[in-house]
Amino acid sequence: MKASLLRWSAWAPGIESPAAWEAWAKAPAPLPATGSPEAKFLPAMLRRRCTPLTRTMLTAAFGCAEPDELARLRTVFASRHGSINESIGLLENVVRREKLSPATFSHTVHNAQAGLFSIAAGNRAASSSLSAQEDSWTAAWLEALCFLERDPREPVLVVIGDVPLAETFAPLVEEVAVPYAFAAQVAAAGRGRGVELELAAPESLAPARAAPPWPPALEFLRWWLSPEESLEQVNRSNVARWRKG
Amino acid sequence: MSHSPCRLAALGQVSALGRARADIFARLVAGDSSRLTLNRELIPERSVWLGEVHDPLPEIPAALARFACRNNRLALAALESIGPDVAAAVRRFGPARVGVVVGTSTSGVGDAEAAIAHREKTGVLAHEFHYDQLEFGGLARFVAEVIGARGPAYTLSTACSSGARALASARSLVAMGVCDAVVSGAADSLCGLTTNGFAALGAISATVTNPCSVNRDGLTLGEASAMFLVTGDPGGIQLLGVGDSSEAHHMSAPDPEGRGAETAMRGALADADLAPEQIAYLNLHGTGTPQNDSMEAAAVARVLGTEIPCSSTKPLVGHTLGAAGAIEAAFCWLVLAERSGGELALPPHVWDGARDPALAPIHLAAKGERARSGAQTFVMTNSFGFGGNNCALILGASDSL
Repeated sequence: MKASLLRWSAWAPGIESPAAWEAWAKAPAPLPATGSPEAKFLPAMLRRRCTPLTRTMLTAAFGCAEPDELARLRTVFASRHGSINESIGLLENVVRREKLSPATFSHTVHNAQAGLFSIAAGNRAASSSLSAQEDSWTAAWLEALCFLERDPREPVLVVIGDVPLAETFAPLVEEVAVPYAFAAQVAAAGRGRGVELELAAPESLAPARAAPPWPPALEFLRWWLSPEESLEQVNRSNVARWRKG
Repeated sequence: MSHSPCRLAALGQVSALGRARADIFARLVAGDSSRLTLNRELIPERSVWLGEVHDPLPEIPAALARFACRNNRLALAALESIGPDVAAAVRRFGPARVGVVVGTSTSGVGDAEAAIAHREKTGVLAHEFHYDQLEFGGLARFVAEVIGARGPAYTLSTACSSGARALASARSLVAMGVCDAVVSGAADSLCGLTTNGFAALGAISATVTNPCSVNRDGLTLGEASAMFLVTGDPGGIQLLGVGDSSEAHHMSAPDPEGRGAETAMRGALADADLAPEQIAYLNLHGTGTPQNDSMEAAAVARVLGTEIPCSSTKPLVGHTLGAAGAIEAAFCWLVLAERSGGELALPPHVWDGARDPALAPIHLAAKGERARSGAQTFVMTNSFGFGGNNCALILGASDSL
């Protein structure tokens, strides 16, 4: 499956500009475990309703498109955990038989970040939100290709991000838990620098290298900024093989 | 725009209407609301009507114990009905060519509630609780493990449009050649979080939901799973049109003019290359909240006019949230599959009959009503979700294929 990557943007604590990401990609190091952006581009009213995850993902999203594109492009939002940290308080309310906050409830749907983006950017285009455990980055890319399959004329804005799970569930999950977001404008093949994704059965591959100590989407970014031609990422049931050009 | 074939080749489903196809169809076209039950436990000091599944559900196999939650048992019940078809597809195409795209808004959150209740008493989460039950991606992983698929597997969660979106993406994965077959649908389960959350929003009806009525006062929640085997084969029942939009309006209320709903319906018609009058039946989102029904009726009247028969099936099974788009597509599939003698038996719109004069006068299907089924027959289903996420699907069947 061929596509083009037109533009990207990313946020992690202390790595907030394209130049900072270029520098990180040359000498990649584990990322800070805490921090979230202020997202000052959001109106104060809206910003107050944003969780750290929402601010992080919207910072990457707004950094990846011009204002007219923000209002027009179709979007894919991906997050392994989404708003689960905010849901924990609601679950405690439920088991203690306390009243739930209606605003908190309606902002903990998995597509909360997509919904708040749509409101902030005035975007009425199609939008999808997904989760696929460790495979979320590959799935986000595939979901963008699905939108391009339906209509290849306009690019799709893909946004992926997570923040570390709260203490209630964190011990149950083995992962690199860092706050981050990555956004990319993905277009049909031939519109910009090419990216090809191939899914392969794991049996057909040599043993993979150990996964790097940062999230798969940022490993993709590191690779994209590097001179390396190809990248293999091990998913739960297959291997994503990325190639430039 | 013409699209490559997308066959909804097999369907399994479970809801308050049951698990067996003949039972479900009979209750669907009879407008049988009697399967809803009054629950006095889920919301403190309040009783609510619910579309709970009463059929016994299959146990999760021991090897997949980490996925053992009610949500996955609902999915497994739907999958069991299409087990032979799915197994044949995995053999025919190979596991790496079979994908999974499913929707949910709850995943196993009901079991997470039990785990947290256990922690309140003992200081630790219940030991049978695994994060795979709670995280949204767990549903897709569970389905992939059950059927032995090794292609892409992911969960879409756009609130009440999740199930419809899943079918849209399944169609695209097949059309692109990423997969030769996709198991796609949704599962959503009743739990304390959604019942108390919607109660806090003031969105739950004091009685059984009464969509489009002047007396409507909210929704009735339910649970369900529908799972389709999606292939690129022609014939049978096809997914012909997908239209979708965002609202840019409000997290938990639709645009009162229904512009997002209108965009989704028009998009589905354009995608299927159909004129509005070719739609034989519309399954409304029809939640029974004052806001949804007024904006939806307005949008339907603008796009389809006021003669095409419509109904909400939520008075029969409840609003099944993340599964609604899939279970209502499943009802549309059944209506097409059971067409006979040039006619479609339609699910009636079950309500008190007190039309709201403020609503656009759309045609609400009466009990026993039938639509004409031609050489080609098309039906549409609407799904609108929190966060302003809308998706309309068009299914079609052709007698010549």
